[in-house]
Amino acid sequence: MINGTENILVCCGTGCIANGALGVADAIEAELAARGLSDDVQVKVTRTGCSGECEQGPIVRFMPRDLMYYRVKDRDAKAIVDSLDGEPVKKLLFKKDGQTYEHMDDNPFYALQHKVVLRDVGIIDPLNIDEYIARGGYEGLKKALQMTPDEIITEVEKSGLRGKGGAGFPTGRKWRTAAGYDVFPKYIVCNGDEGDPGAFMDGSTMEGSPHAVIEGMIIGALAIGAEEGVLYIRDEYALARDHIQHAIDDAYAAGILGESIMGTDHKLDLSIVRGGGAFVCGESTALMASIEGRVGEPRAKYIRSVQRGLFDHPTVLNNVESLASIPTILREGGEKYAEVGTEKSKGTKVFAMVGKVKHTGLVEVPMGTTLRTLIYDIGGGIIDDRPFKAIQTGGPSGGCIPEELLDLPVDFDTLVEYGAMMGSGGMIVMDDRSCMVEVARYYVDFLCEESCGKCTPCREGLRQMRAILTDICEGRGKPGDIELLERIGRTMQDASLCALGRTAPNPVMTTIKFFRDEYEAHIDRRECPAGVCADLTQFAIDASACTGCGMCSRACPAGAISGERKEAHVIDPAKCIACGSCREACRFNAVLTERRPS
Amino acid sequence: MSEMITVTIDGIECTCEKGEYIYDVAKRNGIFIPVLCRHDAFPDHRACCRICIVEVEQRGRTKVVTSCVYPIDGECEIRTNSERIQEERAVLFALLGHRAPEAEVLDDMSASLDMSGFKRLISVDNEKCILCGLCVQACNALGTGAISTVQRGTDKKVDTPYDKPSEFCVGCLSCANVCPTGAIEYSQTDATRTIWNREFELVRCAECGEVMGTPESIRHAVGAEGDAPTVCDSCRKKRLADEMMHTYRYV
Repeated sequence: MINGTENILVCCGTGCIANGALGVADAIEAELAARGLSDDVQVKVTRTGCSGECEQGPIVRFMPRDLMYYRVKDRDAKAIVDSLDGEPVKKLLFKKDGQTYEHMDDNPFYALQHKVVLRDVGIIDPLNIDEYIARGGYEGLKKALQMTPDEIITEVEKSGLRGKGGAGFPTGRKWRTAAGYDVFPKYIVCNGDEGDPGAFMDGSTMEGSPHAVIEGMIIGALAIGAEEGVLYIRDEYALARDHIQHAIDDAYAAGILGESIMGTDHKLDLSIVRGGGAFVCGESTALMASIEGRVGEPRAKYIRSVQRGLFDHPTVLNNVESLASIPTILREGGEKYAEVGTEKSKGTKVFAMVGKVKHTGLVEVPMGTTLRTLIYDIGGGIIDDRPFKAIQTGGPSGGCIPEELLDLPVDFDTLVEYGAMMGSGGMIVMDDRSCMVEVARYYVDFLCEESCGKCTPCREGLRQMRAILTDICEGRGKPGDIELLERIGRTMQDASLCALGRTAPNPVMTTIKFFRDEYEAHIDRRECPAGVCADLTQFAIDASACTGCGMCSRACPAGAISGERKEAHVIDPAKCIACGSCREACRFNAVLTERRPS
Repeated sequence: MSEMITVTIDGIECTCEKGEYIYDVAKRNGIFIPVLCRHDAFPDHRACCRICIVEVEQRGRTKVVTSCVYPIDGECEIRTNSERIQEERAVLFALLGHRAPEAEVLDDMSASLDMSGFKRLISVDNEKCILCGLCVQACNALGTGAISTVQRGTDKKVDTPYDKPSEFCVGCLSCANVCPTGAIEYSQTDATRTIWNREFELVRCAECGEVMGTPESIRHAVGAEGDAPTVCDSCRKKRLADEMMHTYRYV
């Protein structure tokens, strides 16, 4: 029976919006209105932040029955409203290996997750402060207002929270150092400049639970004695910026920000600064230079920002995810937070999983979860069940991790020992059809444009690396190239000015370390084992496997494939541009790659 | 007085104040560290050429730091020329040398290093600029701010805004004079000087006829209210000396 407690949650994260979620929400509302369910007996429709499984979006979930529907279209609105007090809509439920899952937590994608940062994301309306408060929001702040700065910092230290932007510096220690300087004003800054290709953890958090970030900042400000804070949000995150601004306005109106925080003598002003779209401005000192209106270049950090940061004043810079963890730590206690995770990496970590994995999306798991669990149990494995080759973690500063390291726990320290890193949480899964030299070249190319260009090793090292890697990919590799890449890379790691430059060679260094044979194949035999590098590869169709379905010829942009229906097709090598579209399109593995004769 | 610390640099014991930069302490003790982007005229150093890297061993840990901006904060052993530093400095010189093949000073500075193994690197044609940023620092220090670095990454360069003649440039040549590689080009005729795509008139000394600068640079130097000189510095001194001679003759 419909009794007015129903709440239909429509995921309106960026991914679901792109798939038409706003239309779905409107259609459901229209359907409810048509049945009079928006008048006396109200059924609420909530447009939430990202609920995680983006690949299956738009996602509609309704409470309190906890039915979760996937890939919903506008036209499903009627069936969904029918199912409010009836049978679930079978075709919209999650199915895997012949099993159907009704509830969110039954779905293996969600079952293994542990949500702290994302606890409200996908459940509340991010534009409604009351919904945040109803779920315990600002309770942490209330507690913090009863505590001394020292007590707040001690609680954060107990939690073992470390900077989730990737560096892993203990947040409590950072706050304590900043609190120790008697120079005013002090600043608290939120780093929302997430720029790694394929990463959307911070964006989704700001979109889906903006008040958690704001509450974290207020608590941080109380701890260090700051009365002004800035959220630096990248230009591309328009939705996140809107939601944060909305939340700031609501918090002012509710007396949570401004001259008197919740009626106390404490005050804090928050404002948003829009990034200009430079990747390097995610680096702390470049970010502060950008806020000050100067060129976004890092400075040498021998004097730390906690001592002399924004406008040369003590500044704490925390990542979105770290700040969004703070309310829970204060509300439930640092010890409770530290119950999950590993010995040196406490709590949880949010990952944005993309690439050749079946269920792409946003996941939050306890620190120490293995990559294998992430990719196979949560992510559902590799698309088309192809062999796994590597996972790229941490964006351009990270590395490529091979199969043999998949059982290592993912935390701040373990992967580093093996020459890779966890990074900020972006994860790109690659199958056997990814060329690791080409992947390294892609990241170096990205950084050639996104390095600030200030210091020699980063700017010039990347320029030379790009030239050498391009040569290797195009069949002009020379003996000694690998050693020269390593030589330049080591100097970049040691001598670059900022963390971007010091980690910039990581994609090259890790692919050489774990996939050296692939480099050697390119250089010594002019062969791309993955069949990606166009200058080294030619394509042919295996006549015995080809069914003549014609998918390949339709996918071919060069018109190089011909053949009669239901008969084996052929590729004209004179027309073929070796783009690989036919191989992607073929469902029968009939497109073969071989070494192109020089 | 602040705390005094004793450190060893290349085996030599040196005493310094806490917070002093390694480069300054080394220089005072006669230890030479090569550097390109550091200039005594400016209090802040960009620390971007990275040529002045040194190794610091402190509390059992060794790290590579830039000596021009690294403040000494405790006892440590500093090595300015270890094998690791020589190797990395060679790579840095090779990278700069291929970025700016026309900058001859690089060859002289790297003469003592093993520069083999870099033939494979690509060169940027006709380039002299190593992007040390001293020109920008000089222009900002003068208060003109006509040039800055523009673009980022491998496309970074020094330029006026939008590559257009700058209304703030006074044609003083400070940028060209401070440049360690002679990368900033300008041309001069009898009556005009052209730099950063802008042509300036030249002011000549009323007595000797030597170039004194541009009207804009002289105005910038004396300020809006100041009297612009009509004779050059050496003629002014000569004139002063003559006057003094004249005065003292009767004493």
